[in-house]
Amino acid sequence: MSERLPWIIKYRPKNLDEFVDQEEAKKAFISWYESWKKGETEKKAALLHGPPGTGKSSFVQAFAATYGLELYEMNASDYRRKGDIDRLLRVTASSGSLSGKGKLIFLDEVDGLNPKSDAGGLEAILQLIENSKHPVVMAANDAYNPNIRPLRDVSLLIEFKRLREGAVVQLLSKICEKERVRCDKDALDVIAKRSEGDLRSAINDLEAIAEAYGKVTKDLAMSVSTYRDREYAPFEVLRRMFNAKYIFQAKDAVSSANIDYDTLKVWINEHIPTYYEDPEEVSRAFEALSRADVYMGRIIKSGSWDLLSYAMEMMGPGVAYARKAYSGKFKAFKYPERFRLLSETKKARELRDSIAEALARRLLTSKATVKSDVIPYLKVIFTSNPKMAAGIAKAYGLSEDMVKFLAGSKASEVMSYLKKPARARKT
Amino acid sequence: MSEQPLLLWAEKYRPRTLDEVVNQKEVVARLKKFVEEKNMPHLLFAGPPGTGKTTLAHCLAHDLYGDNYRQYMLELNASDERGIDVIRSKVKEFARTRVAGEVPFKIILLDEADNMTADAQQALRRLMELYTATTRFILIANYPSKIIEPIQSRCAVFRFTPLSKEDVVERLRYIAEKENVKYSTEALETIYELSEGDMRKAINILQAASALGEVTVEAVYKVVGLAHPKEVRQMLQLALSGNFTEARNKLRELMLNYGLSGLDIIKQVHREIFSSDIKLSDEARIMIADYAGEIQFRLVEGADDEIQLNAFLARLAFMGKKFRPTS
Repeated sequence: MSERLPWIIKYRPKNLDEFVDQEEAKKAFISWYESWKKGETEKKAALLHGPPGTGKSSFVQAFAATYGLELYEMNASDYRRKGDIDRLLRVTASSGSLSGKGKLIFLDEVDGLNPKSDAGGLEAILQLIENSKHPVVMAANDAYNPNIRPLRDVSLLIEFKRLREGAVVQLLSKICEKERVRCDKDALDVIAKRSEGDLRSAINDLEAIAEAYGKVTKDLAMSVSTYRDREYAPFEVLRRMFNAKYIFQAKDAVSSANIDYDTLKVWINEHIPTYYEDPEEVSRAFEALSRADVYMGRIIKSGSWDLLSYAMEMMGPGVAYARKAYSGKFKAFKYPERFRLLSETKKARELRDSIAEALARRLLTSKATVKSDVIPYLKVIFTSNPKMAAGIAKAYGLSEDMVKFLAGSKASEVMSYLKKPARARKT
Repeated sequence: MSEQPLLLWAEKYRPRTLDEVVNQKEVVARLKKFVEEKNMPHLLFAGPPGTGKTTLAHCLAHDLYGDNYRQYMLELNASDERGIDVIRSKVKEFARTRVAGEVPFKIILLDEADNMTADAQQALRRLMELYTATTRFILIANYPSKIIEPIQSRCAVFRFTPLSKEDVVERLRYIAEKENVKYSTEALETIYELSEGDMRKAINILQAASALGEVTVEAVYKVVGLAHPKEVRQMLQLALSGNFTEARNKLRELMLNYGLSGLDIIKQVHREIFSSDIKLSDEARIMIADYAGEIQFRLVEGADDEIQLNAFLARLAFMGKKFRPTS
């Protein structure tokens, strides 16, 4: 028995002949490569850009295979550190290779580069481009992302367009033939239309339907295939997620949000009790969200972005499958209360923050510790002993607003102690 | 006189020199050697909160440079001043000028270093190497295991032990005498119990209790009760009665109005679980404590306090029936 590969990998183009519907990009790249070899290029690197699923990475692989090049590939999770890039430069430094093949360096997803945390990384890539004895190709969804401007400046931009619907249908029907799955033409039309030129999502949809039902009909395509990768507003995401019939739908739902994962987390946090009434379901859903949050915490702390998929699986399918039975309820999702409360309590939080700031340096500790271990006792003093409170307010230069924050209804008493000396001097 | 400025006792009675430090004898003895030799390696101070790590770092700097020591010391707080970029630029600026006096280096004090991400710690490690000729780092951490190994191996590690009951009570007695506060020894012992060996907290409780009048056991409990909002107990009771939504509202009140962190809240929950004021079977107390412990762990690992505590409350609301005593 052979290992079962996802179709998206199984049907990747093996060479340039199999690579369809990006004729312009293909031509532009080949001519850049030819002149690079002769040392005649103006631009030392090429930057392939275009929406997801338009074949940027597949193209580079097919190209390397066709031209018999050894491919050195790094993607977003790899090249964060300068050292890694430098190592790549060293490894590829020799002009030839043991096998006598030429080399091609491919940096995928460069728009994932973070200019702050990967500061050295960007410079290292520029160095690599400058010094490499082999052509350097990069790929990005958004070539105009300001973070990668220096890379754009030294590269020839090659655009990958969304695939035409007709081309997608043709490719899908070829796969159907090879897999010996009955696929109706009108079903493929639906999938192709909804993929909006993203071949990867089209093939994934096709596989999902074929796997589950053994055939691909228009009705199935209508119910399973979704407009994907396009962004959704949070309430739509929640509706799709909670009402997902299949795990992949819940997963797609959370990955298609037009808000970042942290904000999405807050939306889900808000609406678990909106959607679920049974306490067991509520508890199971929060357990999944809690796990997702732990993964996200680990990602932030360790920078291991490869954990993201676990976080998404807990956040989407994990929460959606907290249900005991599928019901497909319609619920109205509203803007999370937390955001509203946060803006309402903003002033108080800022005051607490500035008190903490005023005290932290003097008490040789952090603002966080002042907030948790000092301010609560200060409040006791300020509400029960205005005289002592006034002395403290004076010693630490606390403003009237800060006194009000700490003393509440006793604020005027504290303030009267504070103002006394001025009157005393007059008399 | 009411118009006189009045320092918080936690600041007023802080030791200024190594000689004034009464506990952590072993640590102090080793630090004094550095002062004698006017040289030291990078240091890592590790131990529970309120055991004197930051204070001793300041005492050490004081003994090295004299009263104006703070101009030779850069104090950075890893949790307040997030981002290695901020730290990098500050260190760079600070390390540029040399010290004029006999001590050939300046000190960079990095508090809560265990709150830094692994990436930031890697960058820190490079900074330590880069400026080693002109600076020494003192890193302070509650959990030394969260400091990456390459940094640990570059530092002399000092382990701070929790303060003993005698140490804390004696210090409190000393302060109370100086401040002419009436107190009972029992009250001071109660403060020690409630502050869990954290000197800073103990002194804060003492001062707040004195604000109410005589420092008695009752006054101490009153202060701690006032400082710890009763909403925590209400939140627990709501959750246990199966009312998740109301319990969540209380949680938000605690976080936003009282400014408590998730850790503050779960620790207080932990204390409440074993208080006799909450009616629960012993079996239930243990089960809840176990889950509270798990949630506390996740709070340290996770990113969002409210989500973690909601998971806790939702579990309580679900299990509530089982937990409620039948009698």
